[in-house]
Amino acid sequence: MNEEFGRWSESRWTSREIDWKRAKQITAGVDVGTTSTQAAIICDGALFGSASIHTGYDFKMAASQAMEQALGDSDMKIQDIQYIVATGWGSQNVPFAQKTVDEVHCHAWGARFMFGPDVRTVVDLGAQTCKAIRVYSWDRVRDFMINDKCATGMGRDIELMANLLEIPIQEMGERSLEVEKDPEPVSTTCSAFADTEAIGLFREGYSENQVLAAYLFAVAWRIYGMVGRVRPEKELAFTGGLAKNVGIVKRLEREMGITPLISQYDPMLAGAIGAALIGRDIMAEI
Amino acid sequence: MITAGIDVGLENLKIVILKDGEIIAAGSAPSGGGKRGKRVAELWEALLKEAKLSRGDVNKIIATGQGKTDVGFASDKVVEAVADAHGARFLYPSATSVVDIGADQTRVVTLGEGTRVLEVVLNQKCAAGMGLFLTRMAGRLDMTLDELSGINADGNTGLRVNDTCRVFAELDALGWLNRNASREEVARAVIEMVAVRINAILNDKIKPAINSTVLFGGVSRNSALVSALRRRSGINFLISDRAEYGCALGAAVLAAE
Repeated sequence: MNEEFGRWSESRWTSREIDWKRAKQITAGVDVGTTSTQAAIICDGALFGSASIHTGYDFKMAASQAMEQALGDSDMKIQDIQYIVATGWGSQNVPFAQKTVDEVHCHAWGARFMFGPDVRTVVDLGAQTCKAIRVYSWDRVRDFMINDKCATGMGRDIELMANLLEIPIQEMGERSLEVEKDPEPVSTTCSAFADTEAIGLFREGYSENQVLAAYLFAVAWRIYGMVGRVRPEKELAFTGGLAKNVGIVKRLEREMGITPLISQYDPMLAGAIGAALIGRDIMAEI
Repeated sequence: MITAGIDVGLENLKIVILKDGEIIAAGSAPSGGGKRGKRVAELWEALLKEAKLSRGDVNKIIATGQGKTDVGFASDKVVEAVADAHGARFLYPSATSVVDIGADQTRVVTLGEGTRVLEVVLNQKCAAGMGLFLTRMAGRLDMTLDELSGINADGNTGLRVNDTCRVFAELDALGWLNRNASREEVARAVIEMVAVRINAILNDKIKPAINSTVLFGGVSRNSALVSALRRRSGINFLISDRAEYGCALGAAVLAAE
């Protein structure tokens, strides 16, 4: 099996405009996920650097590499960062962080930074978990839901499907939308059954795009069930890696009847940016 | 008499060309989901060329595997269990059962007289995809399948993952990595999980005999898993160097009958 198809591209960015030496506050956030790891550096409320890389099997190494890449070719050193907050599945594997904070708050605050202060519902679509978060207009989480156990790892499953179907992961969403009408979704109980069931559809004469549609519809349907439980408001933002898959996002929009907010930032950065912002709040309290 | 067997699996497709009871060409390629019809044709042409044959030289072609309907040029189709039985009998005349562990399905076929099939036991739904699970976990641990196959599966460290569901098992494995367990320890736990799951299928109905059970399927190439399965089941599997092609070979043997 060729594993290149399921490999999404890494990214990094460091500002050339911001003079960090004049910044009063420099904080950073590191979000170590099961599949991807992000780091973000915030200087006086502006994004200074960010990186998103594959986690691999060594969580500690992923955390420090993401941090290094966010610092990029600037002359800022990790010692120049006043406060670092870790979050995500591997948050305890960030030895250089001063504190760990839960993912719900990090994603909520990250989304508010990325999508603007109007955000009231944040749907984080990660490789491991999906979360629906509702926030008040002030700094407080109102309610949240996390996927049930059987829906875990849906994001990672999409990588496997890309490899099996030999369709690049970046193209899956677009191609699934090329069908005239969505077929019935595949089994929505278990993410493992979804793969074999989807491949089995070729026996029914389905085209590649129809198989993708049946598969991604199932993923979207599962997420929709969970999002409904927090009663989403229309100021909604999608974050996480699956937010880049239009096949999932467009189907969720259709089912919910909501047009989500858009952002100039990579949706995968929400957790790390939120962690850096929480670091800033913690510093202000000290 | 020249015949061919084509086994279109979930992950890989296999073709065997047989001439008067001898394998003259064999090859495999990734199935590629919806591209499998095209892939079969490409591999078929390549093998014909390798064996210096033209299409007309082949008397009969039989297709098997979950994508058997996608082999337009096959003269016939056969269910996988029957192909397994023919393949096993061909390689080991005294075989009494076949265990075929593929990317998707695990089958236990009990043989009767000749190539008769007495009983077939398939995996339960939750135990599907054991081969895929191994491929996926190897990728997750940044190991090649050969590296995963090379670990010492008997050095028990007490580290376990959920042995009912491969989704939970993967989650447990990631949890161990997060708690800084070594890659090898986690790999061992993954191998053990698959062995437990397959051993349960072996014990489902008629238990395969200790010294006359043939192992087929891509997973048979994973020595760590074979060793763990041997320890759990007590079966000394007969493993041919063509084990991955067992089902395709069986289809070719049947075509010659």
